[in-house]
Amino acid sequence: MRAMARFRRDGIWRLTATAFAAVLVLAACGGDDEGVPVDGDDAENGADEGGGQGGTLIAAISGEPDQFDPHNTSAYASFQVLENVYDTLVVPDAEGEFQPSLATDWTTSEDGLTWTFNLRDDVVFHDGKEFTADDVLYSFNRIIDNEMANAYRFASVEEITAEDPQTVVITLSEPTPALLDNIGGFKGTAIIPEGAADDLDLATEANGTGPFELGDPAASGVTLTAYEDYFDGAPSIDEVEFRYIGEATTALTSLETGEIHWTDNIPPQQVESLQGEDGVEVGVSPSVDYWYLALNQEVEPWDQVEARQAVAYGVDRQQVVDVAQFGAATVNQTAIPEDNFWYHDYAPFDHDPDQAADLLSSAGVEEGQELGLMVVQDTEGVQAAQAIEANLGDIGIDVTIEQEPDGTWLDRQAEGDFDAFMWSWLGNLDPFGFYHAQHHSEGGFNAQGYDNPEVDDLLGQAATETDQDARKGLYDQAAEMIVDDVSYLYLYNPDVVQAWADGLGGYEVRPDRAINFENVTLPE
Amino acid sequence: MSGYVVRRLFQSVIVLIGVSILVFAIMHLVPGDPIRQALGTRGTEETYLAMRERAGLDDPLVIQYFNWIGSALTGDLGVSFRSGQPVMNLITERVPATVSLAAAAIVVALLIAIPLGTLSALKPRSPMDWFATVSSQAGLSIPDFWMGIMLILLFAGTLGWLPSGGYVGLTDDPVEWARHLIMPAVTAGVASGSIMTRFVRSSVLEALGQDYVRTARAKGMRARDVLTWHVLRNALVPLVTVGGVQLAYLLSGVVIVEIVFAWPGLGQMALIAVESRDYPLLQGAVLLFAVIFLVVNLIVDLAYAKLDPRISYEQGAAR
Repeated sequence: MRAMARFRRDGIWRLTATAFAAVLVLAACGGDDEGVPVDGDDAENGADEGGGQGGTLIAAISGEPDQFDPHNTSAYASFQVLENVYDTLVVPDAEGEFQPSLATDWTTSEDGLTWTFNLRDDVVFHDGKEFTADDVLYSFNRIIDNEMANAYRFASVEEITAEDPQTVVITLSEPTPALLDNIGGFKGTAIIPEGAADDLDLATEANGTGPFELGDPAASGVTLTAYEDYFDGAPSIDEVEFRYIGEATTALTSLETGEIHWTDNIPPQQVESLQGEDGVEVGVSPSVDYWYLALNQEVEPWDQVEARQAVAYGVDRQQVVDVAQFGAATVNQTAIPEDNFWYHDYAPFDHDPDQAADLLSSAGVEEGQELGLMVVQDTEGVQAAQAIEANLGDIGIDVTIEQEPDGTWLDRQAEGDFDAFMWSWLGNLDPFGFYHAQHHSEGGFNAQGYDNPEVDDLLGQAATETDQDARKGLYDQAAEMIVDDVSYLYLYNPDVVQAWADGLGGYEVRPDRAINFENVTLPE
Repeated sequence: MSGYVVRRLFQSVIVLIGVSILVFAIMHLVPGDPIRQALGTRGTEETYLAMRERAGLDDPLVIQYFNWIGSALTGDLGVSFRSGQPVMNLITERVPATVSLAAAAIVVALLIAIPLGTLSALKPRSPMDWFATVSSQAGLSIPDFWMGIMLILLFAGTLGWLPSGGYVGLTDDPVEWARHLIMPAVTAGVASGSIMTRFVRSSVLEALGQDYVRTARAKGMRARDVLTWHVLRNALVPLVTVGGVQLAYLLSGVVIVEIVFAWPGLGQMALIAVESRDYPLLQGAVLLFAVIFLVVNLIVDLAYAKLDPRISYEQGAAR
């Protein structure tokens, strides 16, 4: 008894109290620099510093870049950073129309086979080297010759030549109206200086022409510094610090406390509550991404169009959007969202369980037909699949949701080992990207086994049609057939949701999720 | 002693070879193609084949294994599929954050376990004992992601005392390093501390019942000295064992805590490696984890001899 009393007094509490005191001291340290406006460079503690011109923008992205070689990576997180470091010949504006970037203008020959790009003569890479046509040749040939991830974008390119230092000529094997998208749709076809792959470790270093220079990447983030000689004028801020924050609560708390200025890590269910939050601005834009369901057309009974149409009538898209995206998406029965030039208003499948049941019986599908629905685990696709499971249960189809890690999912998709799968396509701009390889019978992404000679014909014509209106007409026809045949069962276009500190200026949310920070001004 | 250490090191090498074969085999047997994963749904068959060849995945498995283990012996763990960077760099870049978190978490765990376990053992079946049992149960059953988020909402959100997440290097700014470390260390340390509390309690109880404690008390030794010199010192041996295992576990990364607090540790890296089937990176990481466990175990065994002179590793040595 007495032993314990003394022990308690003398030993352990003292130790614990000391530790506690240390914690409190540490907590207090640095706590008092909040709200003190400090200019620019030493913004280690939080995003509160800044004000007006200059300063460091702190952006939290939810993914972690795998590497910074624009030609090698396919990770969106990498492109969020690279968007600010590299340039392409042309660049899509917020409406998806292509504008000059490193190229000032371009012409197409009568037969559509020769494209001539005039290049800017005032562009200098971050290391001081002048930008010329040789750099374009080097960059494109690197992608093509090494069979890199984006080599497919150059499928119709026969030759790339430099007529003079400011002129690049691309010769094609067939007219390719989607060429601008192929070479400028995103930074995967960025221009790097000649010899860069040998001179630099492009996975961790960069020498671009963009508004910011890449700093040393660390495991927790990377900082970009303003490139004063950027051809479009020096950026309005001194630095952009990207932090990788995978947990949404952490990112949103950081935004609310002023530790960061910007984040894309916003779960759909938080959008509404966040919009009421003081000090936080939420930006929402419909995206060009889409979610869809594909039925394996080489497996019974889904080889019959009636059976597929029954599923299309059976799915309540609005419910799927409400369940999976908490409403932060727009239902669509085709791939391309409204507001886009290539949008085609076509929606034949209203939710109609009776119609679905009729179609199933005319296809000879019995009550209790099984359907394995493959989704990638831990994505919003899982919730969407659950809504679809309930919908199809109502028309007598017994759905089993098969959650797979994305590696297994991709293997099974490639091997055709599925009844149905759900997935999304991201960041397409040209209708070729939306429809061709997915629905052409010989298309590289036609895992569902769709084969309609008429569609093949339309897609083939549209791929080479240089008149924009005629081309749209062809894609509209093809889209209708694709929808009618339920090659893909299109579900919805998710919204792009991003949030930033109140008072952050000069930033716009884009449908293609590209993020540009060069014109941003920090809150006062 | 040195003979024992040499023997143990030799055994460790055999264990490591076993681990390397096992990891290699399992990774290659698990479904999921790393190249397809890297390409996503895009890319053509030609690109896929070219990338496979570049990654050396077309060689027979045995050749691939010997290529890998051969360079691993020279300290070259290969190049990550996903990031194109040497695995060694990717691992070493995350070591400081991982060691900081593991060390701080173990300190938190000890600060919980030693006082709580001792107090409850000194007065079994008392309200204090009851409190210790319940709180160590709770510490074990509260999921760490929930606890982490609650701490963030309270200490970063409502009170604004601590940063929500992220990591600052010790050499960059020691104060910020510590402030960023507090919440992750508490979150990771509570579970370990709860496990260790039970061990402290039972081993203190056991030591209290020993003859030498009775003798010490009988000869009039002060209660505090009895506790420090006779009870706690003897109770430490099992604690070192459990603490060692906990430390090794913390050193190989606490995935959930790292994700919640945006902490760039080895656990997050290993998780990404598994998800993307990044064979070289995961193999390197698992090999490192195996080394950590072996080294920590060896240190623990050697510490026994220091703590308890009755334990000796000399051959033929008598008590």
